[in-house]
Amino acid sequence: MAAIAHPDRNFKYWLISPAIFLLLLIGLFPLIFSLVVSFMRVTMLETDTSFAGLANFVQLFHDARLWQSLAHTVLIIIVALPIELLLGLAMAYLFLNHMPGRPILISLLMLPTIISPIVAGATWRLLFDNRYGPINQIIGWFAGHPVPALWTVNPGLVYPAIIFCEIWQWTPFMFLILLAALSNVDRSLTEAAEIDGARFWRSFRYVVLPAIFPVMSIAILIRGLDLFRIFDIIWALTSGGPGTMTETVSVYAYVQGFRQFESSYTAAIAFLVIALLTVVVTWAIRRMGLAK
Amino acid sequence: MINRRDFGKISLAAGLAATTGRPAWAASAADTAVKAAQQYKGRSITIVWEAGLQSLDPTHFSGPKWKELTGIDVRVIEVATAEMFTKIMQDYKSGAGAYDALNVIPAWMPDLAQAGALEVLDPYVEKYGYASELQTIAPTYRDNQMKVSGKIYGFPDDGDVFLMYYRRDLFEDPAVQKAFKDKTGKDLAVPKTWADFDVVGAGLTDILKSKGIYGASFFRQPPYAMYMFEERFRNEGGKFFDAGTMKATINSDVGVKVFTGMRNENKFMPPGVEQFGFVENLATFLQGQSAMTISWPPYGRWAEGYGTDQEALNWVPKTTIAGKVGYALPPGGHPELAAGFALSVSSTSKNKDAAYLFIQWLNSEDVSRQRVQLPYTLRDPFRDSHYADPGYLALWPNAKDYLAALKQASQTGLLDLSLLQTDKYEEVLRQAISKLWAGEDPKTILDAAATQWNDITQKIGVDKQKMVYAAWAAESGAYPKM
Repeated sequence: MAAIAHPDRNFKYWLISPAIFLLLLIGLFPLIFSLVVSFMRVTMLETDTSFAGLANFVQLFHDARLWQSLAHTVLIIIVALPIELLLGLAMAYLFLNHMPGRPILISLLMLPTIISPIVAGATWRLLFDNRYGPINQIIGWFAGHPVPALWTVNPGLVYPAIIFCEIWQWTPFMFLILLAALSNVDRSLTEAAEIDGARFWRSFRYVVLPAIFPVMSIAILIRGLDLFRIFDIIWALTSGGPGTMTETVSVYAYVQGFRQFESSYTAAIAFLVIALLTVVVTWAIRRMGLAK
Repeated sequence: MINRRDFGKISLAAGLAATTGRPAWAASAADTAVKAAQQYKGRSITIVWEAGLQSLDPTHFSGPKWKELTGIDVRVIEVATAEMFTKIMQDYKSGAGAYDALNVIPAWMPDLAQAGALEVLDPYVEKYGYASELQTIAPTYRDNQMKVSGKIYGFPDDGDVFLMYYRRDLFEDPAVQKAFKDKTGKDLAVPKTWADFDVVGAGLTDILKSKGIYGASFFRQPPYAMYMFEERFRNEGGKFFDAGTMKATINSDVGVKVFTGMRNENKFMPPGVEQFGFVENLATFLQGQSAMTISWPPYGRWAEGYGTDQEALNWVPKTTIAGKVGYALPPGGHPELAAGFALSVSSTSKNKDAAYLFIQWLNSEDVSRQRVQLPYTLRDPFRDSHYADPGYLALWPNAKDYLAALKQASQTGLLDLSLLQTDKYEEVLRQAISKLWAGEDPKTILDAAATQWNDITQKIGVDKQKMVYAAWAAESGAYPKM
């Protein structure tokens, strides 16, 4: 009997090694380099790039503007995320059953998500324009008089404007994920609950929600992380203003890195954000049972 | 012995010299640049230029012309103004040498020069005989936007300066004059002080609002309003720093007065003026909805309709006030030069001579005169000869008043604040202005801004910044002579 030739077990690793090397080069190298830079005094405008120790990290804790930007970011997350979730869920229920033109309507609803966020922000800035934007004009029709609302200047209106734009653009994402989740719920369970006299809310709470919870958790996590790094819409609408009122962590990091040219300090901010997000994501994954 | 033919030639040369200001046998700086650049035929150079209208100059006019004359291909790198400084520094720091020639805002020069990003141009000026034509650049630009620590780093190439544009027809209307006199007890006149401006603006709004006209409108978005604050603050007697201690003094009584005035004036301006940018304010003025405004020179040209029939300018609202516009210095009499551009050479360029020759040619008397008259670009007069050019004077009936006002403005103009890391100080000002429109207290805003300025100065180094500030403050255009 001829000896069976064993295939090289390491061959598969050789095959994928170029791709892994490239990924490490693109992902890991900048990460390590940024870490090194965060311990130095690198700015675009000074020639001194000496070792700074923990100075940049110590500065983080004394930087009130940074912590304010974190607070602004958290504010946007805790307002926008639940609204997107509830609206997305409501829309998913609306489109759960067959209706005429369902595929086309779903496609149209998805359009906001395929627009570049910076383009969406620039467009909404025009729509919110005090003199020429249709938003104020439509409000004026209902009010019966001109309403010169300054959506990107008035402190009382900037956050509603930003959150509205975010919700407009990304609720369809939630809707699509939740529609898929709801479509996979076993109908026999909901029908059985109905026969047993359970009303909609009890059926939803004890039958539907547990069934869609894993998928919904992932959607919440993804959107939460997206909202944490929100930049485009804010930059297009307010550039972080008025003052620094709508400055989020991403906007602040951009200003520090590309306007103030504080490369080392920006790297330190980035690692602070990585640390915070790692803690949050780990907690979320455990809490949501996604690690099982 | 000189014969009659020689005498005729000499007389002709002398006559030409009298009209051109240089010996007829001496080549112009433009000619010199073209001849010297022909040795680089076939090469390609890059030049960083502001994206948008500004870059139509090198893409439609000067670039193709230079190629025709020298065989050198000019590749225009269009960059948004807000990104230009970053891109120039990134190219320099990386050593990539992607840029040969540059457009730089003069206020950036100390930072760029200190970082080593700009080539010192003195040797090239001497080599290619450009010194004499540099002297015919209007003094304010020549003396304040060209050198850092005594060395030439750029050629001023854009006569940016704020001018007041007002509705002559309204100011000369007997009915309006009478109504104004009845209302205020004063004669209606173009305001020369900010106190006068407040009276005139509010008065005209009361009189003309029923016709949809406001006394004035300004651009109030922070990037623009920052220049207006810098101008007005100094006209009112303010100083940015205490020269001895380098402590910021923008929160002085003058600063608070200016901020309070700016906020109060919004009340007689069109609703939503806090959001007005360059275009919104332009539209308001061209559509006849404001009696006064302050802005850069293009407003004056476009108000007369010059160039707005070009496709590139089809976004400019059609003027309804052609022939009705007057020109004056802004209140205080010392307008902000407000940005501007200078032509420089990147220190990492691999084609320094070719790049230098291109900018010499662009900036020369002959070529710059044509460029500032291009209807679709934003380059404004900056040489003495531009203000008196017969071609320019004939562009529209009132052009001579326009050029006279620009010339006067250039003579009395105030430099933009220019220190090390100027943008950090300006960023604080921009945020302060946006807080002002959001309704915060002016004193509180300016106190916070002054504290931030002091922190920036500490970080840069007080002594280091003090030297740079002292050099800037010593310039003739830094502070008005009170």
